[in-house]
Parts: sequence; structure tokens; C-alpha cells
Amino acid sequence: MKLLGKLDWSAIPFDQPIPLAAGALVIVVILGVVALIFAKGWAPYIWNEWICSVDHKRIGVMYCSLAMVMLVRGFIDALMMRTQQSVAFHSGGYLPPEHYDQIFSAHGTIMIFFVAMPFVIGLMNFVVPLQLGVRDVAFPTLNSVALWLTAAGVLLVNMSLVVGEFSRVGWLPYPPLSELTYSPGVGVDYYCWALEISGIGTLAGGINLVTTILKMRAPGLSYTRMPIFCWTALASNLMIIAAFPVLTATLAMLLLDRYLGFHFFTNTMGGNQMMFMNLIWIWGHPEVYILVLPAFGVYSEVVSTFSGKPLFGYRSMIVATMAICIISFLVWLHHFFTMGPGGDVNGVFGIASMIIAVPTGVKIFNWLFTMYGGTVRFRVPMLWSIAFMITFVIGGMTGVMLAIPPADFILHNNLFLVAHFHNVIIPGVLFAAFAGYVYWFPKAFGFKLDEGWGKAAFWFWVIGFYLAFMPLYVMGLEGMPRRMQSYDVPQWQPWAHVATVGALSIMCGIACMVIQLVVSIRNREQLRDDYGDPWDGRTLEWITPSPPPEFNFAVMPNVTGEEAYWGLKEAAREQQRITRPVPEYEDLEMPRNSPTGFVCAFFAVMMGFALIWHIWWLLVLGFIGAYATLVVFAWRDLHERIIPKEEVARIDLENRARRNLALQEGRV
Amino acid sequence: MTDHHSEDIAHRVEGGDVAPGDVIHGEFTAGWRTYVLGLAIAIGLTIASFWVAQTHLIYGPAIDMALATLAVAQMGIHLIFFLHITTGPDNTNNVLALAFGILVVFLVIFGSIWIMIHMNQSMMPPTGMPAPQSGGM
Ligand code: HEM
Ligand SMILES: [Cu+2]
Repeated sequence: MKLLGKLDWSAIPFDQPIPLAAGALVIVVILGVVALIFAKGWAPYIWNEWICSVDHKRIGVMYCSLAMVMLVRGFIDALMMRTQQSVAFHSGGYLPPEHYDQIFSAHGTIMIFFVAMPFVIGLMNFVVPLQLGVRDVAFPTLNSVALWLTAAGVLLVNMSLVVGEFSRVGWLPYPPLSELTYSPGVGVDYYCWALEISGIGTLAGGINLVTTILKMRAPGLSYTRMPIFCWTALASNLMIIAAFPVLTATLAMLLLDRYLGFHFFTNTMGGNQMMFMNLIWIWGHPEVYILVLPAFGVYSEVVSTFSGKPLFGYRSMIVATMAICIISFLVWLHHFFTMGPGGDVNGVFGIASMIIAVPTGVKIFNWLFTMYGGTVRFRVPMLWSIAFMITFVIGGMTGVMLAIPPADFILHNNLFLVAHFHNVIIPGVLFAAFAGYVYWFPKAFGFKLDEGWGKAAFWFWVIGFYLAFMPLYVMGLEGMPRRMQSYDVPQWQPWAHVATVGALSIMCGIACMVIQLVVSIRNREQLRDDYGDPWDGRTLEWITPSPPPEFNFAVMPNVTGEEAYWGLKEAAREQQRITRPVPEYEDLEMPRNSPTGFVCAFFAVMMGFALIWHIWWLLVLGFIGAYATLVVFAWRDLHERIIPKEEVARIDLENRARRNLALQEGRV
Repeated sequence: MTDHHSEDIAHRVEGGDVAPGDVIHGEFTAGWRTYVLGLAIAIGLTIASFWVAQTHLIYGPAIDMALATLAVAQMGIHLIFFLHITTGPDNTNNVLALAFGILVVFLVIFGSIWIMIHMNQSMMPPTGMPAPQSGGM
């Protein structure tokens, strides 16, 4: 028996300079950051206040930061693919096939699971409790566990860069290619275990947010007064609860095939690969709405704020959201029209797919009517929203085209499809994440982001997007299949060049965002948001100071109508002071910070790694560790920390004073 | 999640809304007794399903049905005794959530069966017969 299972020196790709150099660079950067943290004496602060934090705001910030870092990783993969396709006409390019295959698989996996998901979940975590007027989520420690399990998945995927290899079978591991017979390496195992672990985190987060929204709203905040972002968060998390177990179970079946010789999806012994496609898309289609619904929520908030009007058709927005929540479980077959379910089945699912465009259209019109007659302020979040509306409609229309089964027979699996889904997911999710990032950044950190660099980033991104993806529609119509490492058709190459230029423009956009962050931190005093409402907002998060105190609200706000905060603000503006009387402050109990989440994730990584490399003693060790963590947590005596009322009063009175000053000076 | 939580619960009970697991005085599902009872019934049903699978007392082709019935009963027991689903007015959220869950499960199971049957038809036209029309794409 080998002590390290399948692991030996051959796992390290010494012969492949690109991953090795990239991995080395990442390791150096991480070590550098860790060294800096220790040298500066920040370690206790980082550990106590961030890693162990169970504060939903900090957890939200960490989710978003994780997503942004992984966006860079995913984008580097994209840039490599784009440049490869530019040069790979009649030649092998610079990326050998087995490497290219890992790149598109890693790109897709990372972008969906470790960029889009954590970004959206991070925004929901940060914003939802503030908008609901509550002090924390329902299960704060579980929230931290969810975050760190996601991070565990990220770590495993990135580990595969230098230890072993990543999956080569695409962002969804379709069997029989992903079965042991055809993918004997550890790549698919890395993929599966990373997603099993982070999937549990996602599910836990979903349960947490649904409970929070259903059970913990401020007094008076009935369902029909809830901000639309909370509604979309509710729908999205309900879908997480319904859909993610399907993903977990499907990947578990694939793992059983690979590890224990089962035959769920094999070619032989009664296995059925088509069942995999069926199951994975039962999760996969809802997944896109899990991502896009909260994004729609962000746009709703942004459009209403920057148009200075209540959201048009608030109730129709709720209905549309919940309709999408259900219909999105009715369309999954459109991802495998061509697999041969036949005309009847294809027809039903094709029509159901087109019907989803109706509630989505309702939303678009609602945003347009919200802008109509308003005084639109073209600040950065609003720019992202407008770019979204235009671009997303194009992507939606190509989606309806693909929902026509006969058309799909020609377009599926080629670059038209790739263009379509980037055309919906980038404006639909990424732009919303950016809009939300700029919009809520001052709430999180107390100062705004630089406007000029934000606009520069916006233009580079949007122009880059069109340049990078419109050519893909043409290439698709010219018949170029997706996932091509090299090709021999001359007509495709010019378009590939255009797409590369687009990717380079996006690269400039990302660079602008980095610069924007640095510049804003430098100029934070000028950009300071001193009373908590920088955009003239309408929902409850803007009643808190920026950044909000740990307990968010010194007293629970009492909600008496839609747009809870706007009404209060109107009254305050009239009288030029806060109209709510100074409350009787009370001691507040807040959950204690806890290393449970981080420790859990540590053992989860250990177990994942052990499973991937068949190191069974390590698996046992990891399991014992994880179980011990559970026991320690379950038997803890101290759950909460008291914030004395004097402290609460001090913080709140100071904030009231600042806001009163702003009101007197007419700045609010 | 303890003290201020129970305060919250009191507050929410007034508001007419209770989370699963919140123990309310005098309610049918409160107390450990019901957990023990639930556990006993659940174990009983489990044993019954093992017995059904092996027995000759039941008409062979009906065993599948019997197992399915026992499984549904098992779910019901879990919902009532462990997840505290009741029909009380304070349970609207839970019932709605359950309805959503059942809808999705229904869609997934029957949708999959429908799809897979058609897929199999296209895969394996029975020898000697023309391929079925609906699978002819
Ligand atoms: C930021 C700019 C981006 C660029 C330039 C880009 C580029 C690409 C390219 C070149 C491919 C391979 C196409 C092929 O098969 O030939 C690809 C695939 C893919 N991309 Fe992106 N992408 C970007 C962002 C995103 C985002 C934000 C997401 C999701 C949130 C995403 C998800 C995917 C997925 C799922 C695939 C399919 C991978 C596979 O074939 O298995 N991409 N992308
Ligand atoms: Cu879909």
C-alpha cells in the first residue's frame, strides 16, 4: 500500500511551464500576503474579525472578494483561449489539446461556481438583513461555514493547477467521457469533490437566507412591503434549496461510478448516460435563474434609486419573480433537444422555454417605465444597468431562437450557443455584480468608489463585451464548433482576432477596476460617505450609517409602508432633523465569532484531497477532525456577546448627530 | 441564537408565524415524547419495508407498490414528527414551502420518466417494427 495513494512526483507538471509558473506565482503572492500580515501584526485582527466573523456583512464582503479574485483567474483562462484561437488556424497554437481542454473546463467551472455564485451570494448576504431591518441572518455560524466551504472548493480547484490536473471534459462532466474508462486521471475527481463541498456550502447558505427572509423581518415589513431585492433573494434561495441537492446527488452518482464501480452512467451494465444530462440540467437550468434573479433585484434597486422614483409595477415584479422561480423548473430539456427525446417532448419544452421570456419581458418594461419620467442620474451603477437592459435583450432573443428545436439542431454545441450564454450571463449577472459592488461599496466601507475610473471600467467592459462575443455569433453561424483547440477554416480567423481584441478590452476594464479600488482607498477622505445615504436611496439599508455598526440597527425600525426609508427621509427633510425620537437603548446580544466555519473547511479540504488522491488515512483523519469540530461547536456554552446599552447609545447618538448635521446643511 | 432568539420567537408567535422547530407550549408536536413516538414509527416502517421486500405473503408484482406506499408514509411521519408540519394557521410558510418542494419533486420525477421513455424509444427501435413516430426526429 502506498502511503500517499496515487500521489507522487509525477503529479507536479514540471514539464509544463505555464501552469507551473502560474502556480508558483500564486503561491509566492499568497506567501507574500501572509508574511505581510504577520510582519505588520495584523494576524490577530484578520483572524478574529474576519476569518472567524459571523457578521453577515463581513461574510458578504468576503464572498464578493473571493468572487473578484476568481474572476481574474477565470478571465486569464478566457484570454488564453481567445489568443489560442487567434493563432491556431492551420497550426497547433501554443496550448496543446490536453491543456486547452483543462482551460475551458476550468474557465467554465470557475466562472459559474466561484465567480457568479459567490458574488451574488455575497451581495445577498450583505444586503438582505440590512434591507429587512434585522441584526443578522437566522444562522450566523452556519453562514460562516457556508462561506468557508465555498472557499474550500475554490482551493481544491486551484490546487489542481499544480498538483495533478483539472478536468478536461467541460464545465459539466458529461459521461461516458467523464467515466473512469475515458478519464482515468484525477481531473474529474477534483471537479466533483470541489463542487460537492462547495455545493453543501451553497445549500446551507440558501437555507439560511430563506429562513432569514421568511422569519426575521422588521416589525411591519410585510411581504408586500419587502424591497424587490429581498424578493428575488427569496426566490433564488428557494431555488437553491430545490436544485442544489440534485447537483450533489448527480455528482455523487458519477463518483460512485468512478470510485466503487457502479454503473449509473456507464456504457455497460445498464448504465444510462442520458440520465446524467437529464439530472444535471434539472439543476443547471434553475441555476441560471438562481444567478440572474438576484441580479434583477440589484437592477431594480439601482434603477429606482437613480431614477428618483419608486419601482414601477412593484407587485407585477413580485409575480414575475415567483413565476420565473417555478417555470425555471419546467424547461431543463432545452439543453438536450438534440439527444433524441423526439418531437413531442421537444415541443413542450421549447414552448415552456419561450414562455420564460414573458415574465422577463415584464421586468424589462418595468425598469424602462421606472426610468420614464424620472430624473435619471447616470452614475456608474445606473450605467451598468442600462448596458444590461440593452445587451440582455439581445441575449434573450438569441435564447428564444435556441429554444426553437429545429434551430437548435443547427446551433447547439457551436459558438452561437457560447455567444448566447455569455450574452445573457455577463450582462445578466456580472454587470449586476459590478453595479451592486459600486452601489453598496460605500455602505460596506464608508467611502464611495472613484467615479472616473468606474466609468472607464464600464466602457472598456461594455465595448470589450460586444467585440468579444458578437463575432462568436457569426462564427457559430459559419459552423465553428465550441471547444476548438485548432481549426482549418480560414473564414473563422478574422472573427477570432476581433474577439481577442474584445478580450483585451475587457482586460483593460478589469485593470481599471483594480486602479479604481486603489485610487478610492487613497482618496477615501474625499470620497467619505459621512451620514450613510450617498445615493439618495429608498430602502432600509440607507438608514444605517456607513459602515453599519455590528448590530446594524440600534432599535428595530418600524415599517409603515412600501419604501420604508423613503417616507422617513421625506419627513426628516421637511423638518431638517431626524424625526424619530431618541429611543430607549437596550443591551444587545450578538452572536459570538467562531472559528467553526474555517476549521470545518480545513477538514473538508483535507477530506477532498484525500478522496481525490485515494489517501485513505488522511480521509479518516479529516473526518474525525470535522466531526470533532461539530461536537465542540454543539457543546459550546457561550453563544452570545452582550453589547452594553451605553455602547449602543454612544454609537447611535453619534450617527444621529452626523445625520442631523447633514440634514441641516441640506445634504441629504 | 438562544436567548435573544427565544425572545424573537415570542415576538413572532404574536405575529402568527412560527419556524419549524420553535417549540410552542401545548402544541401537539411539542416535547420529546413525540420525537420518541416518531422515531418508533419511523423504525417500524423501515423494518416493514425490509420485510415486504422479502416476504412471499404479498403478490409479487405488488411489492413495488407496497414499498412506495411505505416510503410515502415514512416521509409523512418525518414531516409531522420531526419537521412539525401542521395545518394550523401559523404554519402557512411551511406548508407553502412544502408545496413548492412537492411540486419540484413531482416535476423532476415525472418529467424525467417522460423524457427517458421517449429517449429510449429513439435509441432502440424494436426490431422488426417501424420506429415510433414521436421519436423520429
Ligand atoms: C470575462 C470575459 C469572458 C470571456 C472573454 C470568455 C470567453 C470564453 C471562451 C473563449 C470560452 C470557450 C468557448 C469555446 O468553447 O470555444 C468560454 C466558455 C465558457 N464560459 Fe466564458 N468568458 C468570459 C466570461 C464568462 C463568465 C462571466 C461566465 C459565467 C459566469 C462564463 C462561462 C463560461 C462557460 C460555462 C463556458 C463553457 C465551458 C465549456 O465549454 O465547458 N464565461 N468563455
Ligand atoms: Cu436552460
